[in-house]
Amino acid sequence: MGLKSLRRIEATKGWSISTVYFIYTAIFWGYPFFWLFILALSKWNFLTPRKFIWFNNFIKMFQDELFWRVVLNTFNFMLYYIPMVLGLSLLFAIALTKIKFFKTFFVLAFLVANVSSGVAYSIIFQRLFAINGPLNKFIYALTGKTIPWFSEPQLAILSIAMMVTWKFIGYYGLILFSGLNSIPKSLYEAAELDGATGWKKFWKITLPLLNPSIVMVLVLAISLVFGIFTEPYLITGGGPMKRTFTFQMMVYTTAFQKLDPGYASTLAIVAALMSFGCVILTRKLIEREVEYA
Amino acid sequence: MKKIPKIILYVILFIASLIWIYPYIWMFMGSFKPSDQIFTTFWPSRFTAEHYRFILETAEKMHRPFVRALGNSIIISVIVTVSVIVSSAIIGYAISRLRFKGRNIVFNFIIFQMLFPGFLFIVPLYVLIRALNLTDTLSAVILPSLMSAWGIFMFAQSYKSIPKEFIEAARMDGAREFWIIAKIMVPLTGSTASIVGLFTFIGIWDNFMWPLIVIRDYDKMPLSVLLASFNHEYGSYVGPLLAGSVIQTIPMVLIFLIFRKYFLQGISMSLK
Repeated sequence: MGLKSLRRIEATKGWSISTVYFIYTAIFWGYPFFWLFILALSKWNFLTPRKFIWFNNFIKMFQDELFWRVVLNTFNFMLYYIPMVLGLSLLFAIALTKIKFFKTFFVLAFLVANVSSGVAYSIIFQRLFAINGPLNKFIYALTGKTIPWFSEPQLAILSIAMMVTWKFIGYYGLILFSGLNSIPKSLYEAAELDGATGWKKFWKITLPLLNPSIVMVLVLAISLVFGIFTEPYLITGGGPMKRTFTFQMMVYTTAFQKLDPGYASTLAIVAALMSFGCVILTRKLIEREVEYA
Repeated sequence: MKKIPKIILYVILFIASLIWIYPYIWMFMGSFKPSDQIFTTFWPSRFTAEHYRFILETAEKMHRPFVRALGNSIIISVIVTVSVIVSSAIIGYAISRLRFKGRNIVFNFIIFQMLFPGFLFIVPLYVLIRALNLTDTLSAVILPSLMSAWGIFMFAQSYKSIPKEFIEAARMDGAREFWIIAKIMVPLTGSTASIVGLFTFIGIWDNFMWPLIVIRDYDKMPLSVLLASFNHEYGSYVGPLLAGSVIQTIPMVLIFLIFRKYFLQGISMSLK
């Protein structure tokens, strides 16, 4: 067999394997992708014939109070979640760089939260944060008061933000930890020779050189916020006063309870666009070129 | 940071770790406590398996078949995990090591796919599953997850580090491509198969929104959905709920603890 025919056989194999993937993707990715946009421009209830209404779903969305409530909720949630999760995972990462012993134990203790089942940990936290739950017993013993974690609007958002923070500190912390480890030690030594203090080193060396890892964590955290469903669905049902109603809950109820898949698709597209928008904005504002001098 | 003695740092980290695993401890202990002691004691007067008996036997009579749901979850997760590993190993090989025209287009398309969040597809994918008459079947959960762009990408990336002499030598000996993948590529990138398998298993086992949508029949529900619906209808049965949560959690935590090394590698690999 000549080289040429061997090449041809290799190419045929490559193409046949790729074709299998393309057929699968055409059915379970391409087809839904196409229908996403058709649905967003349609009025339909899964049963009667579908009607094109062009951009009416989008117009309806801008006049929908519930949509604006969800947008506010999403940013309200981020206001608690992002600083909390970034701050704590940074502390965790820095602490890991300072210690020698038990490192594996600490990492596993924080990381095991990340592999908790969404349904199970929602059930558990609902009981832990309940009025007669262990957390309130503890708070009552200290202060003589109990905290209505899930029935006061801002507290309900905060509670869910705390749960998600619990889940992701280990994961984000490790991303930041590997970022910290890639900063050359010689930079700190040089700064110490110049008499730089701990805080100064943190602001002038650690934070700027950690930028790529911080951006990474922010991007992951922001994308996550737009996809939250399980926790509010199971614990608060979107309440109190719709304050924990998320984009995914709105997509779910619109499509499968109000039987309006067209409007639900519109909301999904807008949620994805807003998520992309926030990610791009964050990168524009925060991302810096990192140079190891 | 000389100002903080090391010992204080260890104490803080230790307390924080305990707080972090406390929900697990509370869940596990609670599932063995008598009902009236779940909220009142840390160490109960006696341990009981009654909640497990309730969730695995009594609930069956209430037509909440948890044993069946556990079986459904295992079937779904094993089929999806095996399928994703095998298909990603083969397709990843094709797009990284076989030379053919348009290979880069396929590769770039797979990266393009990874840009879109999964939630975009939920409503139209339901329309498809409904049109195929697959609602209330396990296939509705299995089929859309059989192949993964992320898995293919992970394999393709790690294959790139294998010298091409290995592949050429095997071909000289008349080895078939599938043999090369199974006996050379996958073993040499052993951690990739573990990473892809680990993350796929955890993702599909814990999948909630999608099976909630496509499965309404209690006999076909995976554990996550049946547990959630039980929580909704019988929220006051705290003991059995904790027992169910333990059963739902254990496979994920166990697999994580066994493959923890690869979990850490997976985090650093997806950053590249």
